[in-house]
Amino acid sequence: MPMLIVKLAFRNILRNRRRSLLTLLSMGGGFFLLCLTLSMSEGSYSNIINIFTQDHTGHVQIHKENYLERPSLYKTINHADEIIMQLAQHPLVLGVAPRIYSPSLAYGKQKTFPAQVIGIDPKREARTTRLEKKVKQGHYLINPRIKETHQPVYFPAMIGFSLAKNLQLSVGDELVLISQGIDGSIANDIFEVVAIVGDASSYERMNVYISLSAMRAFLSMPDDSSKVHELALILSNQNKAREFAANTQSRFNNKDLSVDPWQVVESSFYKSMQADKKGSYVSMGIIIFIVSIGVLNTILMGTLERTREFGVLKAIGTRPLAVFTLIMLESFVLAMISCLIGLVLALPICFWLASVGISMPEPIDMGGIIFDTMLGEVSWFVVLLPSIVVISSTLMVSFIPAIRAAKISPLKALQAV
Amino acid sequence: MWKFILPLLFSFILYLPSYSCFADNDAATLLKKMDELFRSNSSISLMKMQIITPNWQRTLAMKSWTIGMDDTFIRVLSPRKDRGVATLKKDKEMWNFFPKINKVIKVPPSMMMGSWMGSDFTNDDLVREVSLVEEYQVSKSIEGDNYRLILVPKEETVTVWGKIEFIVNQKTLLPLEQSYYNEKGAKVRTMVFSNIKDFSGKKMPAVMTMIPLNKTGHKTIIEYVEAEFDVDLGDNVFTLRNLQTRF
Repeated sequence: MPMLIVKLAFRNILRNRRRSLLTLLSMGGGFFLLCLTLSMSEGSYSNIINIFTQDHTGHVQIHKENYLERPSLYKTINHADEIIMQLAQHPLVLGVAPRIYSPSLAYGKQKTFPAQVIGIDPKREARTTRLEKKVKQGHYLINPRIKETHQPVYFPAMIGFSLAKNLQLSVGDELVLISQGIDGSIANDIFEVVAIVGDASSYERMNVYISLSAMRAFLSMPDDSSKVHELALILSNQNKAREFAANTQSRFNNKDLSVDPWQVVESSFYKSMQADKKGSYVSMGIIIFIVSIGVLNTILMGTLERTREFGVLKAIGTRPLAVFTLIMLESFVLAMISCLIGLVLALPICFWLASVGISMPEPIDMGGIIFDTMLGEVSWFVVLLPSIVVISSTLMVSFIPAIRAAKISPLKALQAV
Repeated sequence: MWKFILPLLFSFILYLPSYSCFADNDAATLLKKMDELFRSNSSISLMKMQIITPNWQRTLAMKSWTIGMDDTFIRVLSPRKDRGVATLKKDKEMWNFFPKINKVIKVPPSMMMGSWMGSDFTNDDLVREVSLVEEYQVSKSIEGDNYRLILVPKEETVTVWGKIEFIVNQKTLLPLEQSYYNEKGAKVRTMVFSNIKDFSGKKMPAVMTMIPLNKTGHKTIIEYVEAEFDVDLGDNVFTLRNLQTRF
């Protein structure tokens, strides 16, 4: 009996080829449309996330517990070198950048401005974030040579665009920084400006970058202890950030350190992005609705046309349940085939969007980070969601005609035109 | 006859409390002594400052020159990193000098209550901008072997303290403890004086320990190593030029 119904269903589909083809096209088109929209929206978001996280945040950050809520000079990660070596061996990790932060007062030619001084490992930082590419004037920081002579050689420093402008400094000038040392003394030193980074709206605009060793000397931190405030990690895929952070946290086995994905570190950015995403889900919902209406139309027409057929089936003694199953099965098979067709059409375009993308005539500036191409994305989500939408909406809209056909009396059905 | 004398005697007893005005004068003299204890008319002293916090601790050696209540000059001698850092206070103004960056930075009045060189002493403590006798109303009571001086700021006094208390030994007339209260009457910090020594003929406590009560684990100890009083300092000490001198 079940085999008979399957056989019947396929026969019905193949019998009226033109009708089946039209149904397939309508549903496949819906799939195609949904798949492309999803690919574009997911792609743009992950593109924004990639650009954003590679700007300065990284995908995962490690701090001393509570550092993010209440930063303090004394909340340091001890033995950072060991942790870096350990993390760098992980296959997912592309780069680890240690950082020391110290809010300071910067003196230029005449004026004074507050500045965030960040001690970095120039090589590791370049592998983790785009800092090196943001150098507008001068050259990127190199690890300072060990002072051989007793002549005062100033440590090199890179300063943010706005800070340089406010302090009226250019490459080659002297920059004076005053801050609080880790031993309570007043940290004060002269640095040589070797580069100007970023622009008036970028994250670095009021920052000063010096090497870790310069920072340790500046803050009177003992050189050997390898203490830092922050480790920023870049992974091969930003989707893995949460999972990696949770795994690393449990692997560390150290309650003092907290490992956070960028979603936690940049929670305000993440939240506004989530809100934006919700907005785009509304338009996605509208597209899904239109696709389901199309499916409803074709399926409904298909069953109404065949009212007499169902009448004959009932007249020769087919049970209502069998009629119902037959119609549902037909719809399901049609939905599956249309998904396949849609997939075959959509995948090459998705792949093209993911690799090349559509370049925007006018780049969008989001908090100093510039987005100039719309990129697509190919993922299970992009493929599976449209399939589920098409198949489930097909089954849902087939439900009513199928019940009608199952309940119809043979006499009435045979009288219908 | 007794009818006359008794009321007289009685009124005399009644007026006895007004005798405390003599006592208050006495208290004021005592307070003046406190004011001048470490300074006299002029002084040159060598001191050590040990700062202890939960995160770090360090010791500074420094030399200070003072004239009266107005002028102070302090120069840090060690550690090497901070050698040459100097502070000058003249009248109501105060400057810091950092030899490494060759900069004189004026301390704004708003920073007077800020920490000096990371210690628990404020800039204000160090240069003692206010004279206690001039700025505070003082009363005295006796407690065992000690006097207790209670200082309440006068109406026109600008200060953050609601009350200052001194405990002074009756015999030596040297302070044992000084407590600072905020406007709500809560004790904020205590300075303990100990280790009385003879400095060129003048007896004074050589060690002062400042303990802030709102910061657990913080403590600053100042120890006078040498002190000379009433020396002629000349005119060159309290100048911005001297502040910037490298030595």
